[in-house]
Amino acid sequence: MTVPYQCLASCTRPAGDDFEWLLFGATGSQLVVQSSTGATSTWAPETPTPDVKEPARKDDDEGPPGKRVKLTPVAEPRPNFLHLRTAKDGKYLVAVTAEDKCIRVFQADAQCHLEQLSQRCMPKRPSSVALTPDGTTILVADKFGDVYSLPLLPSPVSEVAATPEPKEEQKKFAPSASVLTVHSGRNRKALEEQLKQAEKGPKQGKEAPKFKHDLILGHVSMLTDVACTTVGSRSYILTADRDEHIRLSRGIPQAHVIEGFCQGHEEFVSRLCFTNAGHLVSGGGDPDLYLWDWLNYRLLEKISLQQPILERYKGHPYQNAPTEFKVAVSGLWSVPTAEEEDDEILVACEGLPALVNYRFGSSSKSAKVIPLTGNVLDLAFIDVPEVGPTAVISIDHVHEPGSTSVVRTEPLASRLQYLSRQSGEWREDKTLSKALEGFSRAVQGDAGIDAECSSSKGDDKALRDMLYGVENLRKRPGAEE
Amino acid sequence: MSAEPAKRQKREEYKKSLAADESALPKKKFYRQRAHANPFSDHALEYPKTPADMDWVSLYPAYAAKTATEKENDTEFNESRAGDGKEQTKARGITKDVEIADIGCGFGGLLFALATKFPDTLSLGMEIRISVTEYVQEKIRALRAQNAENKTYQNIGCLRANTMKFLPNFFRKHQLRAIFLCFPDPHFKQRKHKARIVSTMLCSEYAYVLRPGGYVYTITDVRDLHEWMVGHFSGHGSFVGVEGRELEEGEVGQCVATMSTETEEGKKVERNKGEKFVAVFRRVEDPAWPGEG
Ligand SMILES: C[S@@+](CC[C@H](N)C(=O)[O-])C[C@H]1O[C@@H](n2cnc3c(N)ncnc32)[C@H](O)[C@@H]1O
Repeated sequence: MTVPYQCLASCTRPAGDDFEWLLFGATGSQLVVQSSTGATSTWAPETPTPDVKEPARKDDDEGPPGKRVKLTPVAEPRPNFLHLRTAKDGKYLVAVTAEDKCIRVFQADAQCHLEQLSQRCMPKRPSSVALTPDGTTILVADKFGDVYSLPLLPSPVSEVAATPEPKEEQKKFAPSASVLTVHSGRNRKALEEQLKQAEKGPKQGKEAPKFKHDLILGHVSMLTDVACTTVGSRSYILTADRDEHIRLSRGIPQAHVIEGFCQGHEEFVSRLCFTNAGHLVSGGGDPDLYLWDWLNYRLLEKISLQQPILERYKGHPYQNAPTEFKVAVSGLWSVPTAEEEDDEILVACEGLPALVNYRFGSSSKSAKVIPLTGNVLDLAFIDVPEVGPTAVISIDHVHEPGSTSVVRTEPLASRLQYLSRQSGEWREDKTLSKALEGFSRAVQGDAGIDAECSSSKGDDKALRDMLYGVENLRKRPGAEE
Repeated sequence: MSAEPAKRQKREEYKKSLAADESALPKKKFYRQRAHANPFSDHALEYPKTPADMDWVSLYPAYAAKTATEKENDTEFNESRAGDGKEQTKARGITKDVEIADIGCGFGGLLFALATKFPDTLSLGMEIRISVTEYVQEKIRALRAQNAENKTYQNIGCLRANTMKFLPNFFRKHQLRAIFLCFPDPHFKQRKHKARIVSTMLCSEYAYVLRPGGYVYTITDVRDLHEWMVGHFSGHGSFVGVEGRELEEGEVGQCVATMSTETEEGKKVERNKGEKFVAVFRRVEDPAWPGEG
């Protein structure tokens, strides 16, 4: 059985006198690329070997996506991809792998072969990545609440002058308190503890990364998303966290200045999205989306998301669901258009076999629920000649539509679905289906790398955890004290 | 194990008896709590969505601005937040803003001193441990009752909060004139440094709620923590260290003296003839945006 595409990314780039589009998909630990020219290739990281971490070599990427490298028995599974972002008009692909916490930068050549240029492992698992508007810097937000900046392309110079360790970590051990200064019982205990440890010698702390990485801002909370934008000559970084915050900081090099907060969410915030007209839309565990005049920290409107879904499905989208449907926003995309007044977004929720479409600015702001063949995992836009922007949607072909845990009795044949605007409505569009047939095929001959996700119980859970993590951000009442 | 319910029952009985007498001071022994609360976990905390949603009236009833019906007609008030009509009506409603925050106020020694040192300023103690917060609240209630005639202690309040996460939920940008960080938990182990109440990241939040020209006051008996705090604030673009005479004069001098002598921890160190390390930082103006200076 194949693994769904947990992430997608796309771009358009010059090719000869013309343009071509590229579509990138991550399925488990494998990357698949395809161009409008028909060129295609795959890439997978090397199996992690303990200690030595070298950039993984390219896999056999000659054949179509169906053809896979032979698997040698491994102790540790390969890391799965978490995020994909294209940079500099598709010259580069930034990918994050989960288990090894790595930021990987790739280049796709004219034949679509992926070459990994760098592999940088972060101290904590990244929860989101963004590129600065100039495309030269990667921002990595992590589960610990920190945001680091990394050059897209590490220059040899910057690597030699790697970020120095924070001072306090370099310092040799000296007791933090002297017996004289310690007055309270608990501080005394802590001091004893510390002296005991000093005797044992310094602890083997985890090695700090050797590449250039600057800590530019942070929350005391789990970060869920990071976004950057510029307004005039000013650049901004927006960060969202599990504690309902959306923070607005200045861009580098003044990211230590907090300009303000967009406050109002009552549950975790999981996704941020700028619309064409420059508004901010945020979503998370609340039943509504929030539309912001973010520069003035002003909530313009709460837009109901749960309501239209409940109405469309007359309750939970999965008939046999034991609980009621709760919104957990897993994707927000601004629809690319030429006209700025066409302010439009598509929204995905975890475990929802549909997209929800909103048009702002126009008179009707009502939601349109667009049912699909399975739960939506990710989306990328491709500009198709004569058709216009086409949404390529990755569908969970393994689980039942509406459920994040029940496995389908009859898996789908395609891992992708396509929508385009036809006379004002988003409708299924088959234009790309031929070109992407190999890319999208759900059932493949040889097992290859996907064999790791065969249907034993533990693997089911591993797959579920990889695909569905947003609802887990919700705080459980009474979980403490 | 069986000691626990007994203890809880005793506490409850005690609190009941306390409720009967308006001006009875609470006893600390009924409010002691495990020293550390984890600042990273989701306590069942209560906090306003935005500073405008904060119910300040119940903390500072003597400063209540208007009656509820008057509020509804106040347009300026209602414009403060768009979107949800309902929440707006109950908002801050006091005639003054809180201007001094005592972060990690413990049993509140400093806070009670601030009440009389700065009688025209509203000060707020913030404490993550629930029982310790209750103690301070009970003591405020008692002192207000005891001093009903001269109306002192109306200008201080205390609430339970995890300030490492939710400071911007309580205070607007640049609202505060002073922040006290007195004898913060040292978290000696390096693994626990992230739990320290001072970090580069948190300095940005302190700078956000402090007005330019406002001050952060720190004091500790742990040299290493002192150096840590000095390093982080001085290294942060929004703060400069205060030195020399400025530390002794005017309000800064008053604040330094008060936190050295009035905090519970300060008194303990005094008794043990320990050393106290003081550092004060001024919040500077934000830099010009790149290319606009
Ligand atoms: C050592 S006591 C000092 C109390 C008081 N400032 C004094 O000097 O006597 C530190 C206090 O900070 C509180 N604290 C620690 N982390 C906190 C947080 N994130 N938010 C609010 N209070 C916190 C602790 O519960 C503790 O009561």
